[in-house]
Amino acid sequence: MFGYYLRLALRRCRQNLPMLSLLVLTMAIGVAACMAALTIATTLSGEPLPGISAHLYVASMDAHEPGDRDNERQAVPDSYLRLSDAKALVDTGRARQQAALAQSLQQVGNPDGRQSDQVMGLMAYGPLPDMLGVALRHGRSWMPAEQSSRAPVVLIDADLAQKLFGTDDAVGRNVAMGKHVYRVIGVIAPWSPRMQFLDVSRNLGSVLGQNEQFFVPVEAALDGGVGPLTSGECSKDAAVVSFQSAEVGQCRWLEVWLALDGTAAVADYQRFLFGYAQAQHDAGRFAHPPQARLYDASGWMTANHVVPDDVRLNVMLAGAFLLLCMINVAGLLAARFLRRQADVAIRRALGASRRQVFAQHLIETGLIGLIGGLIALPLTWCGLWIVRQQPVSYAVAADFSGMVFAGLLLLSLAVGLVVGILPAWRICRLPPALQIKQA
Amino acid sequence: MTVRPIVSALRKHKITAWLVILEIALTCAIVCNAVFLISQRLQAMAMPSGIAEQELLAIDVANLREEPDAKARVQEDLAALRAVPGVRQVSLAGLVPLAGSEFNTEVKLDPAQKTASLNAAMYTGENLLATLGTRLVAGRELQPEEFRYADEVSKAFAGGDAQEQGVPHTLVITQAMAEQLWPGQNPLGRQIYFRSVPIRVVGVVAHLARGSNLALGGDYSLVLPIRELVKEGNSFLIRTAPQDRARVMQAALAALKARNPHRVILASRNWEQIRAEFFQNDRAMAGLLVGICVALLLVTALGIFGLASFWVAQRRRTIGVRRALGATRGDILHYFQTENFLLASAGIVLGMVFAYGINLFLMHRYELPRLPLAYLPVGAALLWGIGQLAVLAPALRAAAVPPVVATRSV
Repeated sequence: MFGYYLRLALRRCRQNLPMLSLLVLTMAIGVAACMAALTIATTLSGEPLPGISAHLYVASMDAHEPGDRDNERQAVPDSYLRLSDAKALVDTGRARQQAALAQSLQQVGNPDGRQSDQVMGLMAYGPLPDMLGVALRHGRSWMPAEQSSRAPVVLIDADLAQKLFGTDDAVGRNVAMGKHVYRVIGVIAPWSPRMQFLDVSRNLGSVLGQNEQFFVPVEAALDGGVGPLTSGECSKDAAVVSFQSAEVGQCRWLEVWLALDGTAAVADYQRFLFGYAQAQHDAGRFAHPPQARLYDASGWMTANHVVPDDVRLNVMLAGAFLLLCMINVAGLLAARFLRRQADVAIRRALGASRRQVFAQHLIETGLIGLIGGLIALPLTWCGLWIVRQQPVSYAVAADFSGMVFAGLLLLSLAVGLVVGILPAWRICRLPPALQIKQA
Repeated sequence: MTVRPIVSALRKHKITAWLVILEIALTCAIVCNAVFLISQRLQAMAMPSGIAEQELLAIDVANLREEPDAKARVQEDLAALRAVPGVRQVSLAGLVPLAGSEFNTEVKLDPAQKTASLNAAMYTGENLLATLGTRLVAGRELQPEEFRYADEVSKAFAGGDAQEQGVPHTLVITQAMAEQLWPGQNPLGRQIYFRSVPIRVVGVVAHLARGSNLALGGDYSLVLPIRELVKEGNSFLIRTAPQDRARVMQAALAALKARNPHRVILASRNWEQIRAEFFQNDRAMAGLLVGICVALLLVTALGIFGLASFWVAQRRRTIGVRRALGATRGDILHYFQTENFLLASAGIVLGMVFAYGINLFLMHRYELPRLPLAYLPVGAALLWGIGQLAVLAPALRAAAVPPVVATRSV
């Protein structure tokens, strides 16, 4: 029966081409607009590190010290801590895993200086690569003993290893970074989170996650003059140079991330953190009431507006547009079906049930929906291309993929069926006798 | 033209009639709100900066090494820039209008005040106002002897001593800020407080836009007599003739590089680029909204056209009968036009309610202001117009149906 109805639908589609093209085009434009907006929104939603970031929390507190530069822009405390505070929190070890980190940008080369590249990476205190679930291709991460003895070791990613040494397996080789030479103890698979949630202050304007090409223990890095991208919040008599400087002794520049499982552990750590910050405030180190609190990864991204509000506004607009297109198509379909009352009447009189008539018309609208989807495909591609040309931060998320194609066809089929319900219902409700008379 | 026969005819097509009404209502609601959003963005983009927009160049510099005697080096840098042919004014500024970074300060009228009266952008830099080209509307400029170095000011503030030499005692504010702090009064000679330090207003400029977060009050800015040092976040500002900008920029970059090779140029832009970059998101969004509006109106027009065409085809015989009974072509034309007008009116009334609802939601969600009532009649007129345009072709076709159709069987 399905095949027969499909053939009928195809035949009917060929009958009134101007009407059909109007229907299909309207549907295609609506579906394409919606799909383009949804593609961007889905790329920019969900977990920044699937399976891992759901358990990650960042500590934030007002850690201004009395001598700090008075930058009063923050009504809500940021996440930057001094190295001493970061170390204290990590060393306490109250969470399942914990590490401090800061974004860095360094010229990394092989010691003879023949090859080098400027790459982003993270300076870390604690088992950061492990906590972030960074996959190791070769070697290992640093040991606590190496960290405390300030051993000059580094993890680089496979791309950088290829570029510098022409091989993935660069374990045991040396790289030049800052003023020192660092021994490669591990090679990681190229790693970037889906969205930027680590050190967002130093990554303003990048919505998609930064590709971090090296991980280096923080104290060994500072020893070699390797510093964070910017110095963060510094005291008034701190060094004037703040760009890629390792003179960060008087600055708040690291953020502490924790892996916590379950609400009880989070609440427990929240209490601990509050107590720690309050103790510093009471001791006169923190100038203001600390307002210490934990943010989960997505909460932190929301608080820092990593994903612009415009993205959600776009989805709502596109959704409303699709709704309008659907109402439009429903109206046209109702008209199209009513024109064929006579055919329906004869079928009904010959014994077709209402359900069969309903199914036949729904199959026809589903087919129109699918044709609309096929036309929407180049339109969506075109729409995403236009967004990519825009100077907006989320432009990079406008990427066309196979998933989008599948989603597009599903959406247009669903739209075709939904808009068909009302007209199909109306046509199958008419009593057969009356329809024959009218004919 | 009586309305009643039209209404009873529409009753026969309840579903299609309602769909048209709903479609017009939705379009009306979205277009009203979208146009309002566009106007908001355009308004933001048109904000006055108060500076010589076409004459300014900004160069952001960071030193890779700490320099001995940084203060003298800054003066030498500035002198080197001044020596570039075509340069009219130079300054090392702590903040550049709309350049995207922020340096804000809470302003209090009384040191004991719990919450600040407002939050203002803090501009610093020697010769800054002359370089920016702000317009002084009252009082005087900041005098050379009032200037202090930024590091000394920080130390003095940390010391908390109000009489200390290191603290500046005068400032210039914008008209908008003066009006907010002392409505209708003369701001000259009045004091505002930084911590417990009183600072006297000596001058008022017409406008000076903030560095970024315009939501805090785009035109709340103050200028302190503070000399800056070369560091990240500070920019060399150069004023020159609009036609000389490209040449002066090249020469200035070369001069800065020649003075100190251990220096990174983080950015070098003319101020029109800075402004364009600052508003690029707004421009992109406004463009997108315009596109959506056009698409909505187009789809609605097509929908009305399609349905009207169908109705005309369906009623061909009826039209013929009416024509045979004496109705003129004008009568038939007017029939369809009135029908469309009625549907559009119903849609518009419903659309006003929707528009108001969407606006409430946006106000709640995005802190937008209330939709001005003036948008509603404009939106209504637009939709009536579009409806009439879309129905014109089918209505003319209906009017062209000859009376002889009545005598033929279908």
